[in-house]
Amino acid sequence: MALERWILRFRSLVSLALILAVWQGVAMLELGPRKYFPPIPDVAAGFWSMLLSGELLAGDSLTLGRALVGIVGSSLIGIGLALLGEMVPAFRSAFRPIAAIVQPIPPAALVPMAIFMLGLGFKLYAFVIILVTIWPPYLNGAAALAAVGDVEVKTGRMLGLSERDILFRIKLPAAWPEIFAGIRYAATISLIAVVVAEMLAGRDGLGFMLIRKAFATRIPEVYALMFVCAFNGVVLNALINLLRWRITGWHMRMTERTP
Amino acid sequence: MKRLADKSFWNAVWLPVAILAVWQVLAMRAHTPLFPGPWQTLLAISKLYPQIVGQLGFTLSRAGIGFLIAAVLMVPLGILLGRLKLLGKVLEPAIDMLATLPPPAVVPIVMLFAGTGDAAKIVIIAYAAAVPLLMNTYEASRTVHPSANLVARALHLTKLEAMLHIDLPAALPMIATGVRLAVSSALLVAVTSEMLLATNGIGVFIQRQQENFQISGGLAGIAFISLAGLIINSIVFQFEKRWLFWHYRNANSKG
Repeated sequence: MALERWILRFRSLVSLALILAVWQGVAMLELGPRKYFPPIPDVAAGFWSMLLSGELLAGDSLTLGRALVGIVGSSLIGIGLALLGEMVPAFRSAFRPIAAIVQPIPPAALVPMAIFMLGLGFKLYAFVIILVTIWPPYLNGAAALAAVGDVEVKTGRMLGLSERDILFRIKLPAAWPEIFAGIRYAATISLIAVVVAEMLAGRDGLGFMLIRKAFATRIPEVYALMFVCAFNGVVLNALINLLRWRITGWHMRMTERTP
Repeated sequence: MKRLADKSFWNAVWLPVAILAVWQVLAMRAHTPLFPGPWQTLLAISKLYPQIVGQLGFTLSRAGIGFLIAAVLMVPLGILLGRLKLLGKVLEPAIDMLATLPPPAVVPIVMLFAGTGDAAKIVIIAYAAAVPLLMNTYEASRTVHPSANLVARALHLTKLEAMLHIDLPAALPMIATGVRLAVSSALLVAVTSEMLLATNGIGVFIQRQQENFQISGGLAGIAFISLAGLIINSIVFQFEKRWLFWHYRNANSKG
């Protein structure tokens, strides 16, 4: 029982150790060719050499920065559109078919077209990321704003709040938890979109490094880059959780009290 | 009633029409084949559609196979992990970490083992579809109501029977959410993998059009992907309504 509690307390570490152990085991058994499935020390060495040469930090800061700017931009635009839809119902019904049409377009399909119209610079990444990540915050936000209970709205009216106050002080706070669920999903997509765009636009960033190292068959470094990609996701999630705690802490304290 | 329907129809249509009109005007002012308007795209669709449909067939069949493999492996695994609480808890951070690894980052590795053929693409698609399926199934089967387990014990069900007859149905609504996410990411990754490991399919088609400066042809391809996504999503939704009617019925009667 004590062992179980101990395991649960450090489960992230146990989980990581388990992955590394299985990895090392598979590599040592040489189930796959050693060249294609290097043991952990080799991967760590690849990571270390990229870190020392500075290319890793340069590439990752570009990728993470793009993803972050994209996610902030698309969250703001998404929430803005959702608020606009709540104020002007005609806009919401007009925007619905556009959302339905644009949403299934994969970011990879957009990159070649966008390169022609926007070049290889920052505009390309901003456009691609925002176009694919805007939907979860917008759709969740619009649904949550529309679902705010009648009682709350009527209470606000009784207290003499204006329509604007009702929107920003009653409906928006009530919708934050759902909006954050959307933003978290959007963060995952934005990382995917950035890496894809970098792979296809091929100039800099983690996606470009992945492709280049793979074609140069520097396999340990490819695996190291994959770990960095996963780590980026963890960082982005942690940032969003921090923000979520600041804005919707009241809601989380209420619903996540159970251990 | 008729007028109301008309009004909502116009409500839904005016913004897309306005956007198309603005786009057309911009395209006519730019006056270059590198910035085609909706009219040119329409012409390209009418010229290229047999080719596009053929290529889309390759893409969709790969996406479908990858999705099915992921579903067959991940739904039972998710339910199992939900049952074996300690193992599930220990593996949870590992699954979370896997979820943050973008599917395209896996492409170079898969390429080493499986080359650039159909198999490689199906593996990548299956990986992309596996993550939402596994996470949702695990989450749902972990939170099955305790009294459902008591019922299983009272009926003397074996562990396997309990998983099949109690955990699976209870988890279905959340699995359906996972399926919806998995379907769209399977489609998305199918196109991406084709663009990176070019052989055939709609992704390759779009890339070829772009390399030949046929932007309108590329837009025609995108239009077809969007249409396919729209149709597939609505089919998934129909299935959901059909098989999970009991869930929606309960949810409605509550509210």
